[in-house]
Amino acid sequence: MNISRRLLVSACALALSGFVPGFAMAAGTIAIITPSHDNPFFKAEADGAAAKAKALGYETMVLVHNDDANKQNELFDSAIAAGVKAIILDNAGADASVAAVKKAKDKGIPSFLIDREITASGVAVSQIVSNNYQGAQLGGEEFVKLMGEKGNYAELVGKESDTNAGIRSQGYHDVIDQYSSMKMVARQTANWSQTEAYTVMESILQAHPDIKGVISGNDTMAMGAYAALEAAGRKDVIVVGFDGSNDVRDSILKGGIKATVLQPAYQQAQLAVEQADKFIKTGATGVEEKQLMDCILVNKDNASKLETFALKP
Amino acid sequence: MKPILFATGLVVVFSLSGCKLVKTESATEAAADPIATLVSKTFEAKLVPALSEKAIDVAVLRSAVTAGLDDAGSKYGLRVGGAGGGWNFAVKGKGKVVVENRDTKAAVAEVDVDGDGKSDVILQLGPVVKGTALRDVTPLYDFSTFRDQIEYARLGRALNDRAVSTVPADGSMKGKTVQFLGATVIRSAGEKPLVTPVSIETAP
Repeated sequence: MNISRRLLVSACALALSGFVPGFAMAAGTIAIITPSHDNPFFKAEADGAAAKAKALGYETMVLVHNDDANKQNELFDSAIAAGVKAIILDNAGADASVAAVKKAKDKGIPSFLIDREITASGVAVSQIVSNNYQGAQLGGEEFVKLMGEKGNYAELVGKESDTNAGIRSQGYHDVIDQYSSMKMVARQTANWSQTEAYTVMESILQAHPDIKGVISGNDTMAMGAYAALEAAGRKDVIVVGFDGSNDVRDSILKGGIKATVLQPAYQQAQLAVEQADKFIKTGATGVEEKQLMDCILVNKDNASKLETFALKP
Repeated sequence: MKPILFATGLVVVFSLSGCKLVKTESATEAAADPIATLVSKTFEAKLVPALSEKAIDVAVLRSAVTAGLDDAGSKYGLRVGGAGGGWNFAVKGKGKVVVENRDTKAAVAEVDVDGDGKSDVILQLGPVVKGTALRDVTPLYDFSTFRDQIEYARLGRALNDRAVSTVPADGSMKGKTVQFLGATVIRSAGEKPLVTPVSIETAP
């Protein structure tokens, strides 16, 4: 309660500070709600959205829900109370988020989803979804190629409550399982966490010292796994991640982790704000609600072009 | 245990959302996999005719793409997937099979269409088929009408599986002249088209 009140106060303060000095020019406030910025992927999203919103003359209200649907619900209340013009959201659960988005819609506030989809259509105005399945297939294909189509491997899975953990795992397996000489000897969750992945990797290595590769549901877990492998003198193990973070880019360039899959987070967030702007001004975005954005494979050939979740031309 | 649970989950998911995909269905069909139903209802009846109508010759595609991918795309193709996505084209062609490689699960035939003895286009023969060009090449299958990207991805896979279920037998193509129709996605101008064929006819 305390937290939500404080948020409400700060939300009002934000709205006010946007309102008073910029009375003549401010086009209103856009709320940007994402998971915690501890993961640089979500920070890139929020930064991308905020930069575009400012460029288009909006104030911003940047909030984080830490993948907690209840907290997300409170943030929506704050945003609605602050009278924002639109909400840019990377949601906290495909089913759990539908109600919050609908609540905003009923108050006349449109939501524009990025990264992850929700399980209802017609509630959000746009859902610009990272094609995680396609990306995972790219990662899976590269992993199989690096492994020479055979050998023992482990899989690190993300947080089970996150739809993308399942989607990526399925994308990996739909490719890898077609190669009968690829044998998965361990499959464990490390909850998207670097430190957890380190510990999990240590125990997997003890149980399966003959392991030849690790495919990971995201980059932070890939970083943790690679650190554990490095500490155990097993830099020969092939590691493939997902997200396209600068940390993994640097590791690829140093010959550590072998590949990752870039989700164009920054660009996607900017596109969502552009659509929000168009919707605010004209009442329509001119595009379909659900839009899939493809991911791009990053390996040593193009890693040097990667910067903050975008590939330089 | 996990895969079984997962499979059960998928069945539940698809049976729940089945009404979105197929509006008029009998009780028997409702119990069937809606993706399979969608594929069987649309593949021959709509997708193949749409491909035949839209398809451009590989040689035309190549010169158009060399002149400018985006221009070629807006003239002949369809784009999905934002920056990472490419242009999807319906393509057809006729030429001699110079390579038939079935050693990998992602089997391919490479075809020379301009008679210089070199491969110009790669036909995917499966069972592993890459990409979702068949799903994305026409506006027939709209992502907004699917529950989520897993369901949409399953459609892509099912269309691919259906497409390569009728490819000519192993070893029957090398050196032969073939006529094909299919779909491809092009992401950069220098790329050799990787085609998912809906038909490959071998000349005697």
